[in-house]
Amino acid sequence: MSKDLIEKKPLLQVIDLKQYFVLKKEAMFQTKQVVKAVDGINFDLYPGETLSIVGESGCGKSTTGRSILRLDEPTEGDVLFKGQSLPKMSKRELRNVRGNIQVIFQDPYASLNPRRTIRQMLDEAMAIQKVLPPNKREARMLELMQHVGLRPEYLERYPHEFSGGQRQRIGIARALAVNPEIIICDEAVSALDVSIRAQILNLLKKLQKEFDLTFLFISHDLSVVRHISDRVMVMYLGKVVEISDKSSLFDKPLHPYTKALLSAIPVTDQTKRGERIILKGDVPSPLSPPVGCRFHTRCPFATDLCRQKEPVLVELEKNHSVACHFAKELSS
Amino acid sequence: MMNEIVLEVKNLKTHFISNKGTAKAVDGIDFVLRKGETLGIVGESGCGKSMTSLSILRLIPSPPGKFVDGEVLLNGKDLVKMSNEELRKIRGNQISMIFQEPMTSLNPVIPVGEQIAEALRLHQGLSRKQAWDKSVEMIRLVGIPSPEKRAKQEPFQLSGGMRQRIMIAMALACTPEVLIADEPTTALDVTIQAQILEIMKDLQRKIGMGIIFITHDLGVVAEMCDQVGVMYAGQIVEHRDAKDIFNNPLHPYTQGLIGSLPKLYEDQEELQIIEGTVPSPYDYPEGCRFAERCPFSTDICVQKEPSLIQYGDNAKVRCWKYTNEWQDSLAKEVLKS
Repeated sequence: MSKDLIEKKPLLQVIDLKQYFVLKKEAMFQTKQVVKAVDGINFDLYPGETLSIVGESGCGKSTTGRSILRLDEPTEGDVLFKGQSLPKMSKRELRNVRGNIQVIFQDPYASLNPRRTIRQMLDEAMAIQKVLPPNKREARMLELMQHVGLRPEYLERYPHEFSGGQRQRIGIARALAVNPEIIICDEAVSALDVSIRAQILNLLKKLQKEFDLTFLFISHDLSVVRHISDRVMVMYLGKVVEISDKSSLFDKPLHPYTKALLSAIPVTDQTKRGERIILKGDVPSPLSPPVGCRFHTRCPFATDLCRQKEPVLVELEKNHSVACHFAKELSS
Repeated sequence: MMNEIVLEVKNLKTHFISNKGTAKAVDGIDFVLRKGETLGIVGESGCGKSMTSLSILRLIPSPPGKFVDGEVLLNGKDLVKMSNEELRKIRGNQISMIFQEPMTSLNPVIPVGEQIAEALRLHQGLSRKQAWDKSVEMIRLVGIPSPEKRAKQEPFQLSGGMRQRIMIAMALACTPEVLIADEPTTALDVTIQAQILEIMKDLQRKIGMGIIFITHDLGVVAEMCDQVGVMYAGQIVEHRDAKDIFNNPLHPYTQGLIGSLPKLYEDQEELQIIEGTVPSPYDYPEGCRFAERCPFSTDICVQKEPSLIQYGDNAKVRCWKYTNEWQDSLAKEVLKS
């Protein structure tokens, strides 16, 4: 899979993306406080693949998704969709491109208008993006409902009449309505019960095959990520610490944080899990991230070098990059 | 682990009455909890697992809640029959509880050390000074650095993981015999969850309390529990040793639940799914509550409600499939077709 990817041209390129948020001052002479939610990340998204971004709360994974779509205006850096720079586009141009990049959020109820029927929502999406003339939309809507596994008569219903899993299906139908190339799934299955989550994950996989979709899958759940992804990117405090093919990441994680994260997941098969690494302390505040390597405060292998110098992302093995001064030593 | 029984729940039923009818949230729960043992109660949203835990401590508001039937025996004494006065002495003392979101159970304007000390003064009759010292000691015990300083801080000054540690410190301050933990790590990140689970196990070894661990996460059950009860539609459908349930689940619902988990250590093309949805608690079907979604359902499953039957030495399952009646019913169906 990954070999073909390298030969393909990236669909989306994220270049040195930074997203800072300035906090409101609480006192008159307080210095300005800046949260560096995403602090210089680079990655490519190839057509047809699923790239997952994983990490714990506050690592910047959701912010990355939002900056790409300019739901928050990025502070610095560039995002190229088929070579066109999204941050430099006018509002009008951006609106056209957004038809190609759709997003599904964690809480579908919050992202569906409670006063519109499913029909109105799908119709509006198609009208704004001018995907189909009005007389052809009816047939398309029925087709969409079938694709996401909802009955056609549900078109006349309102969001509150559906269960959580069904609402997520509606969210997916609305994203699909405009024939996107990329779908950003921001914790799209995190709020669902396991049996419903399995249904939605199977649906996403099926739709990806049918419509040749590219997914940027943002999640904190590594077992879900393993199931759905081709490649995985691990973030910590606004930085990418590791990016790799799925199998390589899960079989041989290189960054100490990835190792700890993997070992911390409670699994049903206790015999398969290796030794548990329990990290000390909490994630530091993104208001004042540690200097040097951002993980050094919790890393069991940290040295003076880690406390002073920030490691860069290097490709240690084929398609497997890691940002750690001692990744090589630690892996052997 | 053949320890003495600390808590026994018999045929517990809690219903909710509203203008929509009667919702059978908890509908006949039985289990025993022994000293030093952890019982997991696992199930999906709406299965009644949290309502079970609240019913044990009689924390269900009434109305709309209604205690219908059952006994909750703590060392042989029935909590159901106790006066509010007697019950107040038990809550937070012999039985404590921790919840998913510590911020909503902590008082936001009182230093956390003070909140722990309050329970100690109330239940154990300690002086202000003694209670404060013990409170600081408890904060140290749950692994919070510089406990003297932290004890004086208010909840908003602490991180989510630390707040949950404070809740644990508070729950365990009076060395309870039973700890009810309702999704205590669900709101936390995995690395913090691992810390909290480790602390709970460690303190259980020291104090020897029995834990009722309510969760939707089967992985956490595997890490933490000795016994596990799987709940579906207000009832326990399978009760097993935790080490057995994952290799050999008996109830078709348990099988489906485990099958629908993505595996961390292997690749799967497609996840197993459970068709359909949970029936409404206002209108449970006559027969087995899972029959509609069950791949093994026969006539008898739809007609008659199964009871929780003993299977082998250590297992109980609420399913017709493990009975002769089911075999007969299946045979009849085969003949018909």
